[in-house]
Amino acid sequence: MSTCIIDDDPIFVYGAKRIMKEMEFCDEILVFNNGQEAIDGLLNITARGEKLPSVIFLDLNMPVMDGWEFLEDFVKIPNHNQDNVVVYIISSSVDPRDVERVNEYKIVHNYILKPITHQDLRNVLEELPNDPSSI
Amino acid sequence: METRSFNFLFKESIYPMAVVDNQMRFLNHSKLWLKDLDIADPDIIGKSFYDVVPNVTQEIKNIHQFCLEHKTKLNKNQKIIQPDGRVQWLNWQIKGWNNKENNQSGLLIVAEDITTDKKNEKLLLNIQNIANIGGWEFDFISNKAFLSDTLKQLHGLPLDYEINLEKGLNFYKEGEHRRRITQVVNEAMVNGTPWDIEIVIVTTNGDERWVRSIGECEIVANKCIRIYGTLQDIDQKKRIEIHNKEISERLTMATTDATNLGIWEYNIPDAHLVWDDNLYRIYGVAKDNFSETIDAWEAIIHPEDKLRCHNVLERAISEDKKYSLQFKIFWPNGEIRHIRTEFTTSRYQKGKPIRLIGAAWDNTESKVAEQKLKDLLEITNGQNESLLNFAHIVSHNLRSHSSNLSMLTSFLNTEENEHEKKNLIKMLTDASISLNDTVTHLSEVVHVKTNSVEKMKKIKLRQAVKNVENNISALLKEKEAVCNIDIDKSLFIQAVPAYLDSIFLNLFTNSLKYCSPKRTPIINVAAKQNNNKVSITFSDNGQGIDLDKHGKKIFGMYKTFHRHKDSKGIGLFITKNQIEAMKGSIEVESVVDKGTTFTLTLRRNI
Repeated sequence: MSTCIIDDDPIFVYGAKRIMKEMEFCDEILVFNNGQEAIDGLLNITARGEKLPSVIFLDLNMPVMDGWEFLEDFVKIPNHNQDNVVVYIISSSVDPRDVERVNEYKIVHNYILKPITHQDLRNVLEELPNDPSSI
Repeated sequence: METRSFNFLFKESIYPMAVVDNQMRFLNHSKLWLKDLDIADPDIIGKSFYDVVPNVTQEIKNIHQFCLEHKTKLNKNQKIIQPDGRVQWLNWQIKGWNNKENNQSGLLIVAEDITTDKKNEKLLLNIQNIANIGGWEFDFISNKAFLSDTLKQLHGLPLDYEINLEKGLNFYKEGEHRRRITQVVNEAMVNGTPWDIEIVIVTTNGDERWVRSIGECEIVANKCIRIYGTLQDIDQKKRIEIHNKEISERLTMATTDATNLGIWEYNIPDAHLVWDDNLYRIYGVAKDNFSETIDAWEAIIHPEDKLRCHNVLERAISEDKKYSLQFKIFWPNGEIRHIRTEFTTSRYQKGKPIRLIGAAWDNTESKVAEQKLKDLLEITNGQNESLLNFAHIVSHNLRSHSSNLSMLTSFLNTEENEHEKKNLIKMLTDASISLNDTVTHLSEVVHVKTNSVEKMKKIKLRQAVKNVENNISALLKEKEAVCNIDIDKSLFIQAVPAYLDSIFLNLFTNSLKYCSPKRTPIINVAAKQNNNKVSITFSDNGQGIDLDKHGKKIFGMYKTFHRHKDSKGIGLFITKNQIEAMKGSIEVESVVDKGTTFTLTLRRNI
């Protein structure tokens, strides 16, 4: 399966990728530096007729297009296999207004507070749908 | 001859009279006797009195007998019901006579018809009883006093009570009332001035009663010979009057002195509006200048409230409800006052109200206080909101670095590859530098948020902008940018000098950083004064920002909207904080690929 990280912080991206590799979280990792890059990249994937990543880790605070704006645009991508994509918000914000806002998006599965840990990723794996065809 | 002429005079007498002998037989009578007593028989001489006048009571007969025997004189009234039902009052005057010469004796009888007098007397008595009026009199010549039965009853005296002037005055309540009656009586006796006063008497039971005393003096040859007058029991009426007066005084005191309440009344059929004195004061209108119409009232109402007041009044006239209105008026000096009135409809004619009655008062002070409180609440809410936001910004920004640091150190603990270790250490260094930058930014913001107002000075705006322009002249040259600064030399503002430098530096560098590669960058800075404020427009022809997308975030911390290597998202956040610390404001307008205009409002210093 493939995973996508959308975050502008290179240190976080480094750490996340490292942990994923250590625990063999997935086969492929896509990285975008902000929402806009991610939308463009994901549109390319669907245009080529390929499958979208199964898991998306999305940061909230990013330049150009932030996490919220990404979510607005992402659900509008045509023909995506949205039912088989789970989004995790991953942020250092402890603002309760952010945590609450997550509930407004059906596609968002959970909210993970930075720093990301091995246990966080193990939980993600457990929550993934068990249908092997979708992975 | 003597007898004949006497006989003639007797016949023609103006009195109905007759002479009878001791056997009560008529010897003579006047013409009126027959007429007044309705005697049809013209020849009654020699006939018996009791045959001719059959209605005579036994009491009168006894008097006849008594007068015959004692040769004396007596009076008696008698009520006679005539055959046709008519009531007649007769006053019998009976005198016994005795002629020693011819040894004859008999009676002289006068029967005066006093029916009219009796009727009047009865009428007067009725009036006295109904109106509780009684008469009194002091005759100084005969030294006799008279008090009518009504008055005796009023005073609670027995009917056989004997009165004199001193006793009469003592019926009045001791103190103010007795002094007053003594004074008016003296005045009447000395100057002949009549009196008509309302005064309190004390009855024999000790009850106090209000009476109306009317009296006057009869003066003959500069001497008062008689005073007389009436007393009327007005106790009930007077007590109601006093009670009403007390209520009215209490109401006036409560409305005027205590609460400053004005009362108004609108008579609907006559379209007549009446205000009390207090309301004229409240509205600041002179009585002579007010035409007592609804139009005249509406003329002083603030234009914002006029239509609403008019409509509510119209509705009140057609409906039956209690209403209240809050509105503003203009005083003659132009001052705006807040008025509240509550009113209701009353008195109905054929189901329609014919009157509105209301109370009004000036609640300007409480309205102003209410507004101040609202403003204060708004400011407090705003400050709370911004504090909360700031707390979250701080925690988010610090946490993003601390989480990176903890992650990197945990990797470093387990990493064995030397090359990777070096890589981790470099990242740790970067993260700690970022953390340091963030702390610097935050402390800068905290610094801005406190004690800024004290550092404000009078600054020549044009000079301040020119200085910044000079400082970045190298950058301007590099970008080949054009600057137009259109600010009056005499324009001064109140600002913190360091903030003003920082604000313009940020705006200039932003404009240059996000200039359009398609055209020569042009920056226009202009300022105009607006009362005690100065508004500064700072516009460029750069890339612009999509405000529909980013409008909410443009002044937020660490918000960037362009793919630019120098974008840090701190400049406008600090700019906004600095401007607000100087009690100013900043707004933005922008069109993508056309340019951006910032409008700054700062305090003017004259």
